[in-house]
Amino acid sequence: MRKWIVAAAVAVIATGAAGAGSGWGAAPPVVLGVLTPLSPPGDPAAGQLIVQGAQLGEAYINGVMGGVFGPKTSCPQPATPVRIAVEDDSGTPEKSVAGFRRLVTEEHAVGVFGAFHSSAMLAAAPLADELGVPYISTQASAADITAKHFAAVFRTHPVDPDRAAAWLGFIQAQNWHKIALLAENTDYGIGLAEATKSLIAQRKLAMTLDAVIFDRTSADLTPQLLKIKAEKPDIVLNVGVGTPAYLIIKQAHDIGLFPQTPMLASYDFPVRPEEYWKNLGPTGVWLAFISYFHPRMALTALGTWASVEYAKRFHSTAVYSNLNSFGDAVILAEAMNQACSRDPKRIIAQLERGRFDTWIGTGATFPRAAGVRWHQWSPPLVILQYTRPDETYDQAPILYPPAMKTGAFEPAH
Amino acid sequence: MDATLLTQYALAGLVIGAIYCLMAVGITFIYSVMRMINWAMGEFYMIGGYVQYLLIADWLGPDRWYLALPLAIAGVGALGMVVQRVLLRPMFAGGIERLDEYATIVTISLTVLFRNLAVVIFGPYQFSPRDYAPPVQLGPLPVNGSRFVAFLGAAALLGLFAWVVRRTWFGLAIRSVAQNRVGALCAGIDLSRIDMLAFGIGVALAGAAGALLAPVFLVYPQSGALSTVKGFEIIVIGGLGSLGGSIVGGLLLGLVESLGSVLISPAFRDVYGFGLLVLILALRPTGLWGERAREA
Repeated sequence: MRKWIVAAAVAVIATGAAGAGSGWGAAPPVVLGVLTPLSPPGDPAAGQLIVQGAQLGEAYINGVMGGVFGPKTSCPQPATPVRIAVEDDSGTPEKSVAGFRRLVTEEHAVGVFGAFHSSAMLAAAPLADELGVPYISTQASAADITAKHFAAVFRTHPVDPDRAAAWLGFIQAQNWHKIALLAENTDYGIGLAEATKSLIAQRKLAMTLDAVIFDRTSADLTPQLLKIKAEKPDIVLNVGVGTPAYLIIKQAHDIGLFPQTPMLASYDFPVRPEEYWKNLGPTGVWLAFISYFHPRMALTALGTWASVEYAKRFHSTAVYSNLNSFGDAVILAEAMNQACSRDPKRIIAQLERGRFDTWIGTGATFPRAAGVRWHQWSPPLVILQYTRPDETYDQAPILYPPAMKTGAFEPAH
Repeated sequence: MDATLLTQYALAGLVIGAIYCLMAVGITFIYSVMRMINWAMGEFYMIGGYVQYLLIADWLGPDRWYLALPLAIAGVGALGMVVQRVLLRPMFAGGIERLDEYATIVTISLTVLFRNLAVVIFGPYQFSPRDYAPPVQLGPLPVNGSRFVAFLGAAALLGLFAWVVRRTWFGLAIRSVAQNRVGALCAGIDLSRIDMLAFGIGVALAGAAGALLAPVFLVYPQSGALSTVKGFEIIVIGGLGSLGGSIVGGLLLGLVESLGSVLISPAFRDVYGFGLLVLILALRPTGLWGERAREA
């Protein structure tokens, strides 16, 4: 019995010593919520990558920054570790609202990030305002997310007009005029179709746009693709997210539309090589796609740390979803440090007036700007193309923007 | 719109409609024999897709896809028989008063169980075996080889099924059970065995649809949800319990969805099917080939 008591006492002392060694105060950890799709009909692969990025963020804040209010700040509070709490929104509005509420009321999250599907984020945005907790869009890009001027909603991801400007610039450079756009009936799909249409009109571009909207739950898109094929467009813009994005490529290939007609995907799902090539095989060659990162881009010290640490932990190359999620966690920690507060309302105020380091740049700001630029900071966009099977995105040539171009668009041959 | 394009849409609708039929025939077959609705049909479809994917991607290789298909169908059929024997047989053992409620609760629970098992085993990702047949030109319509195989496979399975039901002693036994369970029992037919086989065959048809469509659509835990909805739409259109009605209903639904998508708007593709369903219910409440029944 005595032996057990001694062992228990030693364990208690050792635990205390470990706690003291870590330098954390008695305050409970600061919780950062991650609300992201981890099951269909959302894009679960993207959600997994976002969670990995958030875990990296947690490691960086606790390890390199010494927690929030750590030794590198002038805050009077003791250094406090952060903890990540994850909720699955399945990419659906109802689960997103429930998940956000759970993160804030049960986990006491002081900030939430990780959104991937615009409809899901838009549904939870009013709740973020109501609860007064900052909600950062990691990868949801519908214009309304920031255009509706929610007090607590921020974004570190390109917005629809950025994406529309990038692909219209690319299309113009190829001297293509007839565009077909196949978009899912979500806030993202419809928003991007509208943004593309209005930018063509606004810039008076010599282009025609035929936008076809489909139900996101449809598995067979053959009739829509046959209609597009009959119109003989110069390019098809693929605005599906997750399963529909793959179905569009597969079924366009089945009817001989792609790769005979070039296709440009609206986001970076092809950067996940295991999933992309496993699902599509040689069918996936010749696809051009928007990406928010390419290893040729110069990273900040923060981005380099994340990239190296990601490779160590996950034995793979970091992709944008990892890096931007990581960046969002660090931005929230920086805001807490600058405000010397874990109060969500003070974090919101600091996000509006502070400047923040990100993985791809320094001095990111979230001003109360007009229109869609409200609380918005956009990383750069590139357009890449796969030209051989099993290619990885770091090997793919950059087609756009001209300043970063490493190759020209290659038609299928 | 030119005639070639219209023919293309019609053919595309018929191809997908033939595949819808498999699911609907499975549902209506189980209903005819066991007088119960299997709400987990979509999950057997999903399991068929996963088995086909695993067989082709990991075990047999893409060259032996023709072996994968019967194995996937047999596997799903065997699972169905186990489910029937363990979970559904008590329905007919005399101890349960509300048969419909019992069957509904058991099969809806199975839906949740199978979906979650799929997430646990395979993760939430989507999978797709590679195409195993070259593209085919069906008149003016270029058709993906795997989709054409699915179309032929669906037609062959429906033909085989019709032959078994109409031309064999086993089929005769099944039809007698479907007509009158007590009468069939009096004639010496082992009802519990017929129920088990009927349930196995019914879900095997759903599994066949899932396996056939695995390279065409993607396989993921919720992939069966839409096919269940389509299956029920079709049996209501065709008439509950009518095998012929299921086939005609499936083809009709495929056509209406395809033509509606291009002639009206593709955004409401699934609405056209429901529109057809409402129209048929308004004109013929029993469906195209359904029969009026009276309950005491």
